Amino acid sequence: MRLLLIEDYRPLQQSLTKGLREAGFAVDTTRDGREGLWYATGNEYDVIILDLMLPCMDGLEILKKIRAQGRKSHVLILTAKDTLQDRVTGLDHGADDYFVKPFAFEELLARVRALLRRSYSQKNPRISVKDLLIDLTSQRVWRGREEIQLTPREYVLLEYLAMRAGETVSRTDIWEHVYEFNSSASSNVVDVYIGYLRKKIEQPGKPPLIHTVRGRGYILGAQS
Amino acid sequence: MTFSLKARLLTGIIAGMILLLTVFSLLIYGVIRNALVKQFDTSLASVARMLAASAEFDNDKIELEFEVQQMPEFQNAEHPTHYQFWGPDNTVAAKSPLLGTEDLSRIESSLNTLVFGTSRDKNGQPQRTAGLKFMPRIADSEDKNYRSPTNVQALTLVVARDASDLQGQLRFLRWLLLIASAAVIALSFLIADIIVRQGLRPLNSIAAEIATIREDNLTARITAEHVPAEVVQIKNRLNELLSRLQSSFNRERQFNADVAHELRTPLAGLRSTIEVTLIRARDNDEYKKVLSDCHAIVENMQTMVNNLMMLARLDTKQISFNTEQIKLAELVNSCWRPFSDRTLERKISFDNNIEPEITCEADRQNLSIVLSNILDNAVEYADEGGQIRTTARRIDDSVEVAVSNTGCQLTSEQVSQIFDCFWRGDLSRSDTGTHCGLGLALVQRLIRALGGHATAELQPGGIFIVRLIFST
Repeated sequence: MRLLLIEDYRPLQQSLTKGLREAGFAVDTTRDGREGLWYATGNEYDVIILDLMLPCMDGLEILKKIRAQGRKSHVLILTAKDTLQDRVTGLDHGADDYFVKPFAFEELLARVRALLRRSYSQKNPRISVKDLLIDLTSQRVWRGREEIQLTPREYVLLEYLAMRAGETVSRTDIWEHVYEFNSSASSNVVDVYIGYLRKKIEQPGKPPLIHTVRGRGYILGAQS
Repeated sequence: MTFSLKARLLTGIIAGMILLLTVFSLLIYGVIRNALVKQFDTSLASVARMLAASAEFDNDKIELEFEVQQMPEFQNAEHPTHYQFWGPDNTVAAKSPLLGTEDLSRIESSLNTLVFGTSRDKNGQPQRTAGLKFMPRIADSEDKNYRSPTNVQALTLVVARDASDLQGQLRFLRWLLLIASAAVIALSFLIADIIVRQGLRPLNSIAAEIATIREDNLTARITAEHVPAEVVQIKNRLNELLSRLQSSFNRERQFNADVAHELRTPLAGLRSTIEVTLIRARDNDEYKKVLSDCHAIVENMQTMVNNLMMLARLDTKQISFNTEQIKLAELVNSCWRPFSDRTLERKISFDNNIEPEITCEADRQNLSIVLSNILDNAVEYADEGGQIRTTARRIDDSVEVAVSNTGCQLTSEQVSQIFDCFWRGDLSRSDTGTHCGLGLALVQRLIRALGGHATAELQPGGIFIVRLIFST
């Protein structure tokens, strides 16, 4: 899942980026408001974590502009401003969540996961496709009773496909939601990782789970 | 000591009433008494003159006309009028028969002059007396051989009349006045009480309104309408006081909110850095880096807390100053030392143009804090490859130190706010966590405590100058 972090306080920005990446998210990050807006309007982020007091452009201003352009990204405001009025203003400007500093990193992760589930209309933190079970919270995967060990990259790819299980997912979508803006990977990487993933989750004697839709992309689960 | 305004007004009014009524009563009593006594005396005088006129000196004896002797007033035993004549040798020449063996006391007067007095008769009844010395008439004689007496001498006459009626009237008058006064005072007490209570009602209503104002609703104002002019003054002054209180409370609240906000951000950084690191095992180098990051955050927080403490101490005047002779150029150089590395990276040049002989009288430690804060600010906001300069000059018996830096992007309006707490050039700040906007606020307060003041100005070309002016 691809996140954008706009936070100007360097220690917070660095630790959050690291923590979120380690949790398997593709994270783009900036400390400048105007640059943040450019990122946010140019890409389809699943979640944007937004500080309010930023150099060059205020967080609320960025939020307004994102919404004015019709971007559907979920926005989580992360700020030290904690008055009722601040919260109301933030949410009324189109934020999906409002979180006050200082905070527990675990809770931030849980809130981000909750926003992601909402993005894909997925209320249940466990997704099952046939006998494949994915636990979004613990990030573990089972095929039948057997747990499958995936690398973070593979897991993220599978999670994205599972969130959109049953529908065709294009390579571009995968590229946009799973990889960071400035990663050096080419679109070929998607096919390579799909290959890795197939090796791990497909089992002989069982019908395949990941199908290739020629010229369009991939689909997890029943071919529609 | 507290006292009740109502009690004071009432006491004053009643005391005034008592004084006035006493004076008027005494006056009225005096006038009426005089008039009554005068009337009584006039009547007594006419009796005395009549008696004197009826007394005849006849053959060395005094004779009273019979009709006079028989007049009812000399016969009335209940309210008797007595008379008594004395001859020159103090012998009783005649007296009214009702006196019996009693004698009236003799009153001396000059010839033909009436002298009045008050005395008591044998029963202790009050009586009014009139004394008259006169030359008696000589009896006409049909006798041809009549010869004028040669030994006619002045007689003394005293007339005494019972005055119990007069005394009774006067006693009645006294009681009348006393009771009337008491009644007037009692009634005026009731009326004054009502008037005073009515008059003080606006004060009470204001007091009731004030009682409802607490520190959490300082926006409230005293509205009391239709109050007298004197109370309007009080009301307006109180409302002004409330406004000042409110803005001071708001400043305090804003300051606290700002402090909380400024501490939250580095705390969040600290917490998140530690928590993310603890999620899994890391190698030693990574732990070292995380610890040094945390250390830097803690140092910044400490600076901020120190500044806050300093501001608080300045507010409560808990800072002591030891003035000494300070060479400014040297002090600026020593304050600059910690910044030299930072400026090297960003190619900022520093020129200390203060002449070595310029000195000032000040507290070294606090002046260092002031200069360090200004230099810190200059380094932070100077452009890459920019210049920081310090100069000093004497103006009469003051010294002006100026610190200028290039690369300022503020407007002159923003420069005017630069000494406010938590104010930063870029409202959506560019340096969260490292600069919280307390440095220059502290500069202004410290330099004021040192007996000077600081100004900031913007010169063309983005040159920002902070000037410190203080007496030496």
